[in-house]
Amino acid sequence: MSVATEPKPRSPLSPGRLSSGDTRRAIVIVALLAFVLFAIPSLLSVFWLKVLTGAAIYSIVALGLGILMGRVGLVSLGQIAVLALGAWVAAKLFFDTGLPFPIVLLLSGLITMVLGTFVGLPALRLGGLYLALITLMMAGAITVVIATTDFPNGGSGFLGHVESSLGGGDSIRRPAIAETDPAYFRYTIIVTALMFLVALWHVRSKAGRAWEAIRQSEPAALAAGVNMTLYKLWAFALASFLTGVAGALLAANVGDLFNYQFPTSQNITLLAVVLMGGIYSIWGAVIAGLLFRYLPELLDSWNLPSDLLTILFGVGVLQVLLTAPAGIVEQFPKDMARLGRFIGRLVGIGKRT
Amino acid sequence: MPSWDEFQPFIVTGLALGGVYALSGVGLVVLYRATGVLNLAFGAVGAMGALIAWELINNAGWDEYPAYGICILFGGVVTLAYGLLFGPPLANRDPLVKATASLGLALILLGTMSWIWSDKARSMVLPTSNENFMVSDVLVNYTQVLGFAFGVVVMIVTAAFLRYTGLGTAMRALANDREITATLGVPVRRVEAAAWAGSGLLAGVAGLLLSNLVGLDATTLTFLVISSLAAALIARLQSLVVTLIAGIVVGVVNAMITPILSISEYRDMTPFVLAIVALLWLSRHREISISRSA
Repeated sequence: MSVATEPKPRSPLSPGRLSSGDTRRAIVIVALLAFVLFAIPSLLSVFWLKVLTGAAIYSIVALGLGILMGRVGLVSLGQIAVLALGAWVAAKLFFDTGLPFPIVLLLSGLITMVLGTFVGLPALRLGGLYLALITLMMAGAITVVIATTDFPNGGSGFLGHVESSLGGGDSIRRPAIAETDPAYFRYTIIVTALMFLVALWHVRSKAGRAWEAIRQSEPAALAAGVNMTLYKLWAFALASFLTGVAGALLAANVGDLFNYQFPTSQNITLLAVVLMGGIYSIWGAVIAGLLFRYLPELLDSWNLPSDLLTILFGVGVLQVLLTAPAGIVEQFPKDMARLGRFIGRLVGIGKRT
Repeated sequence: MPSWDEFQPFIVTGLALGGVYALSGVGLVVLYRATGVLNLAFGAVGAMGALIAWELINNAGWDEYPAYGICILFGGVVTLAYGLLFGPPLANRDPLVKATASLGLALILLGTMSWIWSDKARSMVLPTSNENFMVSDVLVNYTQVLGFAFGVVVMIVTAAFLRYTGLGTAMRALANDREITATLGVPVRRVEAAAWAGSGLLAGVAGLLLSNLVGLDATTLTFLVISSLAAALIARLQSLVVTLIAGIVVGVVNAMITPILSISEYRDMTPFVLAIVALLWLSRHREISISRSA
C-alpha cells in the first residue's frame, strides 16, 4: 500500500553479506526461539499452548499479507479465504493419501500457491483499489463454495464430506512425532520459523528488490526493466504458499474443520491486525498473529467481551493510516523511548527543585 | 429446469433486492465521485441504524415511523461525522488508503453492534410488508415495491441533482479535480460534507429496507455491502445508470437461481462472479499512467 509517509527501510538491501547487526539479531532470534521451544511448553497450560499454536499459524498468514502490502503494495482482502482453501486441500490430502505430514504441508502449500496465484492474476491488470475489491469478491465466492461443499472429513467422493450426524467424520491426524499438544506446538513453531526464513530470503533477494521498485513507482520499475508480470505473480505465489502451509497446520491443530472458522469478517480483521502489527517489517507479522489469536482469548479469560477488540482493531486501522504507518513494531520502541525521555525529564526536574 | 411459473415469485424478490442494491450502489458511487472515498462501512452504518430502530420500537416503546426516521438520520450523522473527522487528513492519500480507513469504521461499528446486540435472531417487519396485492399469480408486498421504486427513484433524483443543481455541479467538479475546484472558489469541505451526509442517509434507508427484505443481523447486513459494491464496481464507480441496471441484474439473477436446484446453493456467488467477470472484461486494456488521480 502506498502510504505517503512510509519510513525508509532500516537495513539496506544487501544480499549475501552479513553485517555485525545481522549477526547480533540472529543470536537474539535463536535465543528467543530456544526459549519459545523449550521453556514455554512447560510454563503454560494446554489451553494456552493451543492458543499460541493458533497465533503462530495466523502469523504465517499475516506474513503473507504483510509481504503483499508492505513490500509490493498490493492489498488483498481475501487471505482468510485462501487459508480456508489451504485447509481444504490439506484435509483432502490427509484423508485421501497416507503421505507423511511434512510432505502434506509442502503439497498443500504448493497447490494453494497455484490456486492463489490464479486469484492474483487480476493483479496484473488491476491495481490498487480495484485489486483489493476483486480479492474481496473472490473471497466472497470462495466462502460460498466452501460453505456448500464443506471440508473433507473422511467421506467418499471428490468432496469427501459426510455429515457427522450420519455417523461419519474423522479428525485430521497430526504428525507421528507431534501427537500431543506441547509437541505439536513445537512442531508449529519450527515450521513457522522456516516460513519466516523463506520470506526473509525472498525479501533480501532479487525478488525483494523488484518488489521494492514496483511499490515505489510502477512506471519507473517498468522503465528500469523490472518484469512486473513475473514479480507481481511471484508475490502472490509466495503469499499463497505461506497461507497454504498455514492452512495445513491449522487443519491438524483443530482436527475438525468447519466453515464458521473462516468467516468473511476475518478477512477485514486480518487486514487490521497486519496493519497494526506493521507491514514494513516481517516481525510485524508475529505481533499480528498474537493480536489476532492470543489477545481475544486473553480478553476472554479476563471476562471482557472480545467485541471490544473488534472496536480496538477499527481504531487501530485509523490510527495506523493517519499517524503510524509502520505499525506497532516500529511505533512501540519509539513510544517507549519517548516515555523514557519523558520520565528522565521528570526525574531531572525533580532533582533540580 | 423449473417452469416459468416457478420463477415468477423469485423475479419479484429479485427486483426488490436489486432495487436496494442499486440504491446502495448509488450511495457508494456518489460519495466516491465527490470525495474519492469508497465507503466500505456503508453496510455497517445501515445495519446499526436498523438495530437502533429495532431497539427503539421493541424496548423503548417508540412508534414505528419516528424510529425509522432515527435509523435513516443515524446513517447520515455517523457518515457525516466520519467524513468531517477523517476526510480532510486523508484527502490527498491514495483511494486505497481511504477505502481501508473506512474499514476501520466498519470494524468499530461491527464490534459495537455485536457487543450491544449479541447474535440473537431478530426481525423487523415494516408495516408495508403486511399489505399485499397480486400480479398475475404472484403475491407482492409493498416493501418489495418500495425497495425497487427507491432504487429507481434515487438513481433518477441523484442524476438530476448532479446535473442541474449548483451543489451537484460542484460535486461533479470535485470528482474531476479537487485542486482546480478549490481554486475556483467552491467551498470544497462543505460540498464534501453534503456528499457524506447524503450518502449516509442512503445507507440508513438501505439498512432499513434490507433488514426487512433479508433479515436483521449485524454481520449479514454489514457484508451485504459487498453485493451492492458489485453493482458499483460493474459501473466502474462512475455511471449511476449502469449502477442501477447492474444492481437490478445482480438481484434478479441471484433470486432466479433459487429454484434451479442443481446450482441453487451457489446462488450467493452471483454478485461476486458478475463483478469479477465485469472487472476483468473492463480492464482488458490497462494503461499505466502517472497522473495524480488514480
